Amino acid sequence: MTILRLSALLFAVGLGFAPAVLAQEPYPSRPISMVVPFPPGGVADLTARPVAAALERQLKNPVGVVNKTGAAGAVGMQFVATSKPDGYNLLLALSSISIIPEADKLFGRPPAFTVDQFAPIALISADPTVLVVRAESPWKTAKDFIEDARNRSGQISYSSSGIYGTLHMAMELLSHSAQIKLRHVPYTGAGPALTALLGGHVDALASGPAVVLPQIKAGKLRVLAGWGESRVAALPEVPTFKELGYPDAEFYIWTGVFAPRGTPEPVLARLREGLRAAVGDPEFKAAMEKLETPIVFKQGEEFARFFAADAKRLAEGVRKVGKIEEKKP
Amino acid sequence: MAETLQNLALGFGVALQPAMLFYAFAGCVIGTLVGVLPGVGPLAGISLLLPATFGLDATRAIVLLAGIYYGAMYGGSTTSILMRIPGEAASVMTCIDGYAMARKGRAGAALAIAAVGSFVAGTLSVVALMLLAPPLANLALRFGPPEYFALLLLGLLVLAYMSGGSMLKALAMAALGLLLGMVGIDQMSGYFRFAYGVVELGDGLGVVPLAVGLFGIAEVLLTAGQATPPAVLKPRLRELFPSRQEWRESVAPIGRGTVLGFLIGIIPGSAHIISSFVSYAVERRLSRRPEEFGHGAVAGVAGPESANNAATSGAFVPMLALGVPSGPIPAVMLAAMMVHGVSPGPLLIQQSPALFWGFIASMYVGNVMLLVLNLPMVGLFVNVLRVPYGFLYPAIIVFCVLGVYAVNGSVVDVWIAIVMGVLGWILRKLDFETAPIVLGAILAPMVEMSLRQSLAMSDGHYAIFLTRPIAAGLLAAGALLLLLSFRSWIPFADKGVDA
Repeated sequence: MTILRLSALLFAVGLGFAPAVLAQEPYPSRPISMVVPFPPGGVADLTARPVAAALERQLKNPVGVVNKTGAAGAVGMQFVATSKPDGYNLLLALSSISIIPEADKLFGRPPAFTVDQFAPIALISADPTVLVVRAESPWKTAKDFIEDARNRSGQISYSSSGIYGTLHMAMELLSHSAQIKLRHVPYTGAGPALTALLGGHVDALASGPAVVLPQIKAGKLRVLAGWGESRVAALPEVPTFKELGYPDAEFYIWTGVFAPRGTPEPVLARLREGLRAAVGDPEFKAAMEKLETPIVFKQGEEFARFFAADAKRLAEGVRKVGKIEEKKP
Repeated sequence: MAETLQNLALGFGVALQPAMLFYAFAGCVIGTLVGVLPGVGPLAGISLLLPATFGLDATRAIVLLAGIYYGAMYGGSTTSILMRIPGEAASVMTCIDGYAMARKGRAGAALAIAAVGSFVAGTLSVVALMLLAPPLANLALRFGPPEYFALLLLGLLVLAYMSGGSMLKALAMAALGLLLGMVGIDQMSGYFRFAYGVVELGDGLGVVPLAVGLFGIAEVLLTAGQATPPAVLKPRLRELFPSRQEWRESVAPIGRGTVLGFLIGIIPGSAHIISSFVSYAVERRLSRRPEEFGHGAVAGVAGPESANNAATSGAFVPMLALGVPSGPIPAVMLAAMMVHGVSPGPLLIQQSPALFWGFIASMYVGNVMLLVLNLPMVGLFVNVLRVPYGFLYPAIIVFCVLGVYAVNGSVVDVWIAIVMGVLGWILRKLDFETAPIVLGAILAPMVEMSLRQSLAMSDGHYAIFLTRPIAAGLLAAGALLLLLSFRSWIPFADKGVDA
């Protein structure tokens, strides 16, 4: 292991000397790193690996995945934000890229990075979260759930992957749209959050569909509604909150590729084109199918619009949640 | 029962295929290496190798990754015993008495007992995993934040038993550890605590840099600072094997460690480390000569090493039976299954019997492989002690730094290890034990998180700890333990303590 890491390190040191010499060469002419700010095995990592492999085939140039983890993704995101804008350090990010700077702002601390430091290249996947409860719970529909939450304000609890994390935000957007108050119990990760729901320690959870599908099929969990603009393909009978009259409860667990702002337009164009072809790659499609994650490709203006709208929703969500201490007198 | 045997036969049919044997063996070898290298633990090892398994089929990938996992638990004791560097976090406890045994010329015995204890615990706990997984998994789910908090309180009581010396000093170090454990993002509110604008500190100081610094680097500095370096040990062949007396003293701790480790391993959370603490405390509590702990008590190696291996199998219970991760390592393995199109969940055992039973059978095979692999290596590893300190210690420092860097690829972690090394050296000079610092730093975030989660669940009512039977039971056990420590004050309750 250590030797692997060491050779990677030596390799990286070697690269450090290269750019000045190679500045004039056509892009890409040396290995590209796709930085994943989360540990291997998570949504970001599992998406990044097939993306990198397919992009490598398209660009005919090595694309390696580098896990740079820490501080809920802030370490890796900061790393790419401040790296040289030459297209050799790309970031595969989740929506936390818009949440972290907003949380920094809320606490009045110097931001680790800002959203403006990135140039969005392409959206790879977007999976709406779904609301799940235990199968033996009294709520048969989302309407039951919301009505009960209204009657027993602050009594129904839910778990999340962490404070201001994606699963927390999804639930908060719903709370505000439906004007209900739920009790939040944060956990450290989506896995522990699901375990807490299954164990009966909390009442509900917003989750990516793929993770809870086996539990739904096994009759352990019941799914009430989805946060998407349209219904989840694997759960066609489950309504969306939009259909139920809560249009602001829209949330996706998405993955997208970013470069540092200031990356030359020809490089960005090459990457957009490469990624567009990469998502059509049969091997990539097969990999995403196994993960039960739908490919949603957007690039250029279209991705920029999606990203801006999502960032706005999340920023508002973070501000509405506010600082936890301030809520209680 | 007949059905289980039939299924197991199916499993061995899968596990004994040459290719499967190869992946189990590769996993065990890589795991042993990962365990031996300071810092690089099973999580880092599995994470780094996960992408390499994408080309394999699901069963092979899981067999390989699981081999790394329990192989690392075998290997982790080696550097703890020989050099007082925890090879992975769960081996912290082994540093104390394992290293003390090595200083007394019993390194070979300590290594052999660790290997045999690991084998017994590994094998017995697979039997338990095979027979009891579904019912136990449902029980494990009932372990929520209040229960976890109560268990951790028991863990905190253990801190007081950590030192062979002054209780006051041990508690002072534990308090320092608890403080160090507070660094990082407050998981309940999102505040950065004591991070001073360093984003890398958001996740806290990290168990690996802390343990490697306080144990490994501090030990090297301490030895280097002595006017006369300790004599190079020349272990003789007959000293490689445990004596009859040592075997006798190990049997019960191995048994208790196995049961404790398996049960604690099932509980969702970072259970390995806790299982080894609890086992150490139990052994010390039950020992007729508790004063030997910290100075080379065999039970202090046999118990924790068995416990951390049994905890590995325990951790697979919720993963295989319910498809929920019981810790970061099972979470990576679940991801590996998903990548291969196997959806982990409550239906896994019915839907993929070849995977489940093949996996179980491969663990029996893997444990035998590890024993065969590790016992002969005892003789080899012990020879490390023959290397003169002038060569050995610089090499140890290099391995410590590389190991710490490799976990996250972070230079900040290396600095933390170095600073902790210097701190550990100063404290050891002043005759303070450093083990309680590491334990305090590991327990602090878990205790805090589970306490605050419990209170979030109950909307601030402390009664939640008393109305839930498991939590109340654990708290009662803790109270009993406290009372027992005052038992010398209670007339007629004294059952003749040797001391």
